[in-house]
Amino acid sequence: MRKNSCEVIRRELDELMLDDTCSSAAMEHLRECAACSEFHDKQTKLRQMVGGLGTVAAPPDFDFRLRARLAGESNGASIRYWPLARRGLAVAAALIVLAFGVVVIRNVMNRPPETIAVKDQPVVPQPGPKPVESPKPTVNPQEFAAAVPANSPQRIKNERPVPATAKNRHTVVTADFSSERADSINGSLAASTAFPIDASLQSLKVSLDDGRGNARTISVPTITFGSQRMLQGGNQFAAKGVW
Amino acid sequence: MNTLTTIDELGFAPALQEELLEDTTSDHALLEATRTGDQDAFAELVSRYRNQITSYIYRMTNDYDGAVDLAQETFVRVYRAADRYQRSYAFSTYIYRIATNLAISELRKRKRRKLVSLTGFFQPTDGGEAKELNPPDGRPLQDSELVDTERRNAVQRAISTLPEKYRAPLILRDVDGRSYDEIAKILETSEGTVKSRISRARGFLREKMRAYL
Repeated sequence: MRKNSCEVIRRELDELMLDDTCSSAAMEHLRECAACSEFHDKQTKLRQMVGGLGTVAAPPDFDFRLRARLAGESNGASIRYWPLARRGLAVAAALIVLAFGVVVIRNVMNRPPETIAVKDQPVVPQPGPKPVESPKPTVNPQEFAAAVPANSPQRIKNERPVPATAKNRHTVVTADFSSERADSINGSLAASTAFPIDASLQSLKVSLDDGRGNARTISVPTITFGSQRMLQGGNQFAAKGVW
Repeated sequence: MNTLTTIDELGFAPALQEELLEDTTSDHALLEATRTGDQDAFAELVSRYRNQITSYIYRMTNDYDGAVDLAQETFVRVYRAADRYQRSYAFSTYIYRIATNLAISELRKRKRRKLVSLTGFFQPTDGGEAKELNPPDGRPLQDSELVDTERRNAVQRAISTLPEKYRAPLILRDVDGRSYDEIAKILETSEGTVKSRISRARGFLREKMRAYL
């Protein structure tokens, strides 16, 4: 209770101005409480010391310097705003660089896949005077596509359906038949009849392009090797190299 | 039609005349005149506040030359912003607020630059207990004026070691004798905060000035 009243009184004394008179309750408390009385004395002395610092006068040439400064600032207004302008220019430059970067990144991201694929293909020189070269055996893509089934695992993965334009004339399409099952010879069939030995399913066609839009197709007929009769039990006495 | 040249010719009562005359020389009126280009009105404002502002900033920064520069900067800002001045506060509150902001900015700049001040050499950076650089001399002094000077210097040094948030309200209250309400407006805070900070500041000072009390 006493501690609380001390705090209240001290707060009241603290908030008073030096020349203000404190309340009668505070006066009575100060007469009774030695600690608060000592606090009040010290506080009053401290405040007198601080208040005694007084006012420091400005120098006599204060007005003159101020006028000179104002005159100088009004003349150099553009110089005063230069830091702001410089900051604005820096921000504008940063925005331009940022926008340029965004445009470049978007161009890279949106580049069509053909452009990337072209890079993978060998560079084809434009038609013009070029050295004589031996004609390469090429296969017409349409014919090759007809020969190979669409779901065949032998289709080349990178092969794309491309329109037959002049651009694609030099495209070489290859097929790998190595993993395809060979025709099996049925034993019963072999025992009764002769079977044909065929090296190809269809005729071989070679398309040649002279580089000026003229294309020629050479068709090679199916090669057969005649027929062979299978012998029961094999010919053990036949001479070597004779079936 | 006759043109009235003096206020007496208006025929107002003497009390009202006095009030009108006083109003034309009020801070607001002077600033209004400054706004219209009256240089003499601005000079009058400067002469009214130059010592108060210089002294206040000096107590805040403990550097007289810097205080004069900042006081001039305060008046330059008042002059530049005369068009934007609003009469919602007293002019003294307005100019003290500018001065306080400039002084606090200067103190923060100094802290950033880590300037070594002789008085603040033993001042801890974390706001803890500071050591007294120039402890009181126990020998008897010959002259009471010397005693006063030495005591004043000690008080000024002790104030300059206070954290800035305690320093400004203490100076405004105990040195300039301003009311809590005005201090609260200058520092843009509540009266309760001002009272609390002043109380804390006095507590710090009491500890630092123990030898003099």
